[in-house]
Amino acid sequence: MQYMILIYEDEAGYGDQADSPEMQAIVAKHYELAGSIGDRMKGGAGLQPTATATTVRTEGGRQTIHDGPFAETREQLGGYYVIEAVDLDEAIAFAKQVPVRLDGSVEIRPLIAK
Amino acid sequence: MTASALDQIVRENRARIVAALVARFRDLDLAEESFAEACARAVPAWASAPPANPAGWLFRVAERVALDAVRRQTVRNGAAPPELEPVQTAEELMTSDAALIPDERLRLIFVCCHPAIAAEARAALTLRLVCGLSTGEIARAFLLAEPTLAQRLVRAKHKIAAAGVPFEVPGPSAWGDRLDAVLSTVEVAYAHAHADGGGTGRHAGYAEEMRQLTGVLATLLPSESEVLALAATVRFAEARRPARTSDGMMVPLAEQDPASWNAALIDEGHALLARALTLGRPGGRVLLAMIHGEWCARRSLDEPAPWPAVLAIYDALLRLRDDPIVRLNRAVALAEVAGPVEALEEVDVLDAAGLAQFLPYHAVRADLLARLGLGGAARAAYDAALALGPEAAERCWLEKRRAALSG
Repeated sequence: MQYMILIYEDEAGYGDQADSPEMQAIVAKHYELAGSIGDRMKGGAGLQPTATATTVRTEGGRQTIHDGPFAETREQLGGYYVIEAVDLDEAIAFAKQVPVRLDGSVEIRPLIAK
Repeated sequence: MTASALDQIVRENRARIVAALVARFRDLDLAEESFAEACARAVPAWASAPPANPAGWLFRVAERVALDAVRRQTVRNGAAPPELEPVQTAEELMTSDAALIPDERLRLIFVCCHPAIAAEARAALTLRLVCGLSTGEIARAFLLAEPTLAQRLVRAKHKIAAAGVPFEVPGPSAWGDRLDAVLSTVEVAYAHAHADGGGTGRHAGYAEEMRQLTGVLATLLPSESEVLALAATVRFAEARRPARTSDGMMVPLAEQDPASWNAALIDEGHALLARALTLGRPGGRVLLAMIHGEWCARRSLDEPAPWPAVLAIYDALLRLRDDPIVRLNRAVALAEVAGPVEALEEVDVLDAAGLAQFLPYHAVRADLLARLGLGGAARAAYDAALALGPEAAERCWLEKRRAALSG
């Protein structure tokens, strides 16, 4: 089955610049991880910081546009993978290898089967 | 066959049959429902002609019920139905139960105790599916309303199905986490069973199921020292149950008369612990079992309490796992070996805010303050402990200690 692996970290840990040394180091680790699982990797990307986020909110049928992410949290969604895994244990084993610079959380969500 | 004979067969074989059904159909609800249906069919069927192999009968009937349900489902989904299994043959009826029903209990335990399920829900699921307790019995032990507990079970089973929790004994890469989750689940479940000192209240009987469950685990995983240690600890603790209260009041471990402990259970505990100790460097659960083992080696109240040995083991445990609860327990031993001044110094450096809701923290402090003649501070600490709603036997004891304070 397929799982989405969502990576939450404090984005402040990567500094203001997209090419900071911290960012370059973590990107290299992500490439290494992605390469290690071959065609079981179904997709994924890093996300630009939440400062670039825009949220469309629907309330009572009315839509409004907001600057910023859906929720202000201490750790933010910074990237994701979609992987093919035989079961949750394999997905957990992958999630444990996802590089996190300081503290962070990696959430595992099964995709709805097509 | 009488209803009670049927009951006993169901109780003795339930885990094994449900586990075999779970392994075959990979569906916890289907396994439970088919087993229940087989039991219901046994009542009229066995009244006229009891089978030679009752457990085998239940397994085969449950298997057919489940297969029928799977067939109906696949037909509804428009797919080709699976082949029907042949019914039980005469040869199978002669075979022993053990040979007919594959032992998949370990798999079932690992499914119910997956770390992706919350610990309390894991414990409830294990008690329901592996130990066969009713939802009502578990709800009473967990101090929850029955619908609340039932809903947690439904959510946990749904997550197991939807998130892809494997129906296999885990492989080496996941073994550490998965085994630890099994053991912590059993600990949570046992803590609920152990909380009632007298054992005659709402937990009556269920500590016995915990003894069986840990015994099954120790049999199925004989080279895991932590598994053997947990089985030993449950036996040591259960052995002391008869002495844990007197006239409805808690009796502290050091004041319990070893003559009223269950010697056979203690022997089982020592044998399990001895095997665990041959399996390499002791982990946290082995050290805890060793502490229980020291206490249970005491023969009478005339022998000195094993405080120095207990303190030494807590020192080893602290090197392995430095947490406030280990430090608090160590302080209790330290008070007996070095004195209450040293022990109170240790307790007072602990994070008071973090331990504010932990009853033993206040009880230990109260006792140390009382020994140092600080009646006012001790009274406040006893009040803090009593405010956290102890079980009846412990409340009695705390109230008595509080009343005995001077100054």
